[in-house]
Amino acid sequence: MKKILVLMLTILLAFSLVGCGDAKETEKTSGSASSDKSSKDSDVAYVKEKGTLVIGITDFAPMDYKDDNGEWIGFDADMAKAFAKSLGVKAEFVEIDWDNKIMELDGKTIDCVWNGMTLTDEVTSSMACSNAYCNNAQIVIVPSDKADKYQDKDSLSDLSFAVEAGSAGEEQVSTLGLKYTAVKAQADALMEVAAGTSDAAVIDSLMAAAMVGEGTSYTDLTYTVGLNNEEYGVGFRKGSDLVSALNDFFAASYADESMQKCAETYGVQAAVIKQ
Amino acid sequence: MEQILEQLPIVLKALNVGFLQTLKLFFVTLIGAFPLGLLIAFGSMSHFKPLSYFTKMIVWIIRGTPLMIQLLIIYYFPGLVLHNPIWGGGETGRFVAASVSFILNYACYFSEIYRGGIQGVPVGQEEAGLVLGMTKGQIFVKITLLQMIKRIVPPMSNEIITLVKDTSLARIIALQEIIWAGQAFMKGSQGISGAIWPLFFTAIYYLICNGILTILLGRLEKKLDYFK
Amino acid sequence: MPILEVEHIRKYFGHTEVLKDISFSLEQGQVVSIIGSSGSGKTTLLRCLNFLERPDKGIIRVNGETLFDADNPATQQESEIRKKRLHFGLVFQSFNLFPQYTALQNVMLAKELLAKEQPNYKAEKKRIHTEIETQAKALLDQMGLSDRINNYPHQLSGGQCQRVAIARALALSPDILCFDEPTSALDPELTGEVLKVMKELAEQNTTMVIVTHEMAFARDVANHVIFMDDGHILEQGKPMEVFEHPKEERTRQFLSRFTQG
Repeated sequence: MKKILVLMLTILLAFSLVGCGDAKETEKTSGSASSDKSSKDSDVAYVKEKGTLVIGITDFAPMDYKDDNGEWIGFDADMAKAFAKSLGVKAEFVEIDWDNKIMELDGKTIDCVWNGMTLTDEVTSSMACSNAYCNNAQIVIVPSDKADKYQDKDSLSDLSFAVEAGSAGEEQVSTLGLKYTAVKAQADALMEVAAGTSDAAVIDSLMAAAMVGEGTSYTDLTYTVGLNNEEYGVGFRKGSDLVSALNDFFAASYADESMQKCAETYGVQAAVIKQ
Repeated sequence: MEQILEQLPIVLKALNVGFLQTLKLFFVTLIGAFPLGLLIAFGSMSHFKPLSYFTKMIVWIIRGTPLMIQLLIIYYFPGLVLHNPIWGGGETGRFVAASVSFILNYACYFSEIYRGGIQGVPVGQEEAGLVLGMTKGQIFVKITLLQMIKRIVPPMSNEIITLVKDTSLARIIALQEIIWAGQAFMKGSQGISGAIWPLFFTAIYYLICNGILTILLGRLEKKLDYFK
Repeated sequence: MPILEVEHIRKYFGHTEVLKDISFSLEQGQVVSIIGSSGSGKTTLLRCLNFLERPDKGIIRVNGETLFDADNPATQQESEIRKKRLHFGLVFQSFNLFPQYTALQNVMLAKELLAKEQPNYKAEKKRIHTEIETQAKALLDQMGLSDRINNYPHQLSGGQCQRVAIARALALSPDILCFDEPTSALDPELTGEVLKVMKELAEQNTTMVIVTHEMAFARDVANHVIFMDDGHILEQGKPMEVFEHPKEERTRQFLSRFTQG
């Protein structure tokens, strides 16, 4: 009986450590007299030492997606490769479960999240984020034949929405007090509308441009009202010096226009933010 | 329909890659869990009390908690709490972590089946072996083992077929098995999005795989039918 | 010299004493029947002889050699006990044949495993195997089962199974063959065939210890009868003496149940 109790406590303790891992980390690193101190304090040194920058992504055109050879491409992927090159390391893309992105970062199984990530309060409070590099908006998606009726915010109140859980879209509909169901991904939200299980969805405008309307997967859907304006950023571990390294890199590549060129390749040049 | 035919090669290619991962995890789990389960079974039947209590407790914990939690803990715990990401972030690391979780989990389930199988062999069989001057090892290999196998084939078959389907849980740590591959086309991948039909195809892969397994295990069961 | 000497055997299960100072001896070729009501300790005594149970006190000697002495740990080593068991054969009430082997394989298995321990086994594998097979076939033939050698236990009747079990025990040529109620699990019409082969074995001077409820058999075949009651040997002697003129009241009571029926 005692053993079981001890075990339960150990497990609980382990979980509480996960919870306050961030706070403890700074104490621990400053207190440790380890020989590889530099790599513990500096993420840049850590990444350089192992020779790879592990980039956590999801399959998300036009930011990160695979070409016919299975190579990761996209505006984010290409920029990430260039950034890794500037550090003198290899870029390694790893598909992750979006829900686990912070665990992946803190557990060092990835080094950054670079995947058209909207800089929400939740994101900026749990990761160290780069400067915004791309504009985005949360926009309402409805079936094309009903689009006329829903051209302003006031008309939305009788619709049932599908939004990605924890996304900027969810934040918007809940502040507006709209009825909604949280689903696993933005694409799932689109499917809900296409399947008729929800009346409307709220997703990123960049994604909507690629996936909704004539010549896309969802020809019967269209976008109407924009609910806000927001920005994309890259997320790192808290306190990471990779942030300033990336900000410098962004500034340099905006100055020499390589960033804009890259954006043109994927049709998002209009959204790029001046660095 | 035409569109589906056009997209079919892309989808099947992705599903094949995913299914290979599923099969790899399936076989690695079996290869690891068969012997480990037997060890755990012997541990829990040991006359040395601390050992048997310890193994029984492990089995209780593993069987009493969802495999999904075990996957999350085994993969993320080393990096998050011990600050030592032993698995690494790449595909190999995720596969190894998933394999460890699955082997541990399934070994515990197998151990209980083994235990039932061994204890189900009448005690008289061992005694008959003893009075004929056999060693404990000879008794296990020559007498108990086959009778145990005969007893465990039906419950083992259930577990094995469950395992095929359980491999899909590994996508919680982003192991890209077949459901992940199928779902990618729902979320949008390689120009295909909002497509639910690839998921039907993943179901067909599972059905074929389990169909073959059912036939093979049925044959084994029949083969062991020669004695009672 | 007696072939078997049992001296002052005591056995406890927890705090219950199931064997209370058992002593008896047996000459080569003798047949001993042990009778008594259920729970009197007959089966435990037999299991002690085969080292399936360890006596807590006492000595077991075969051909003058001390196989077991409760006061001497050197006689109780597991590796030694395995070899000592070979002095005894045991036929179980419930046969305990190995279901996955044919009648012939059941008889051959133990002998083949023992042969593998011989240094010359590898070189003469074939000859040894043929020898063992010939012997096993002869034994099964002696049991009247020559047409059943390739049958699996579940294809045989209870009486046939028990005869295979006897052949299996004989295959290792034990000094003393023990039977634990060999006919109790059989239908009445099948006991005859088993008792018949046991009688034949007795006529061939096989030394046997038989725990049985078959009083007629005990009286007619055995040279010596032991009556056990509550862990004691209450009475022993020639069958005629014990059955016709029991000295003890308890023996009389026990036997009367059988003679009346």
